[in-house]
Amino acid sequence: MKQLLALMLLLSVYNLCMGQEKTTTVRKSQWVDLAATIGNSQGTAAISYVYSWKLGRKKKLEAGLGVRFTSMFGEKIDYTTAPAKLSRTNTTPFLIFFAGQKTVNWDTLTVQRPFVNSLNLSANFGYNFSSRFSAVFNIDLVGFTFGRKSSAILTSNGITKAEGQAKPAGFNALLTGDLDYGSLNSEFSLKYTLNDRWAVRGIYQFLFTEYKTTTIRQTAPDGTMVDRFRNKANNFGAGVSYQL
Amino acid sequence: MKKYLFSLLVVTTCLAACKKENNTPTTPVMDMVDTTASVKVTGNFVNGPYGTVSGKAKLLMKDGKFTLVLDSVNISNGPDLHVYLSKEIMPVNFIDLGKLKSVTGTQVYEIAGMPEVSQYKFALVHCQLYNHLFGSAPLF
Repeated sequence: MKQLLALMLLLSVYNLCMGQEKTTTVRKSQWVDLAATIGNSQGTAAISYVYSWKLGRKKKLEAGLGVRFTSMFGEKIDYTTAPAKLSRTNTTPFLIFFAGQKTVNWDTLTVQRPFVNSLNLSANFGYNFSSRFSAVFNIDLVGFTFGRKSSAILTSNGITKAEGQAKPAGFNALLTGDLDYGSLNSEFSLKYTLNDRWAVRGIYQFLFTEYKTTTIRQTAPDGTMVDRFRNKANNFGAGVSYQL
Repeated sequence: MKKYLFSLLVVTTCLAACKKENNTPTTPVMDMVDTTASVKVTGNFVNGPYGTVSGKAKLLMKDGKFTLVLDSVNISNGPDLHVYLSKEIMPVNFIDLGKLKSVTGTQVYEIAGMPEVSQYKFALVHCQLYNHLFGSAPLF
């Protein structure tokens, strides 16, 4: 009888352990992802690492954190006045999405050969429609940028001025809408899982990049001197993910 | 399958990164110059640090409108060459008159609006993409 009880106890502990291990492997996942996108006169390549948790009773929801390195390159890209107080009618966080655009304050900095590399912490969310199909949304939160200085042309009220050394803004922070700083990548994608390891994604990307002038400034109608200019790009592409 | 996917990514990235250089046409352009317009200032082109330009620049005025004529010019080819009317020999304050029509010939460029042309002392052939000066003509 003691032997039977001991055997049952052993089996119970074994089942408990295996059960926990199974739960662990199902509830958490780690991915490495490569992505490439193309847009109007620009392209991007990105590599990211994501650690995510599956949520809910049916584990259809996913949420996670990651790190993403994004390179953007292009030619003759237009950047417009970045500070939110000049570009939007309302600068309240989140409400800024619905604010009107103050285009009268917008000047254009045409950066001739932009090349921007950003390393950011990212938030990742997903919904699994089935075992193979899922929708994924991710967005950069905070990080830093380095890149190539480039000549640029500032067009202000029909007057053109040359900027010899425009440079990418160094600090990135997601503060919603035009309150954002720096270069931030966000993607909405549909993911198809090929097998236990591999998955492919079709990507819509919304990319903010920011350049700063060094020798010339925009003088806004209220007298503010502006050296930050932002480009917002809608890009499309594909990606491949590998589960670690 | 994995190789195919990686190849697709590499090709997509390369296609996005590689773009044919946008060189200036080489077919000579012979625009008609209005001989009834008055010549305000002229100057001979000299070579810049990144190219060679020979020929003459003329600023013409008729009925209150200005035009810049590049007369019998020969220019070494390059990407994204533009014609500027500039206040400085290295352009900071300038009027972009558009892309260079050809590396050779006689070409007329309209100047929009009514700029204070006396402040613009130079006609330039400038590579906008790389910020390289090909040639300049001081106007006086």
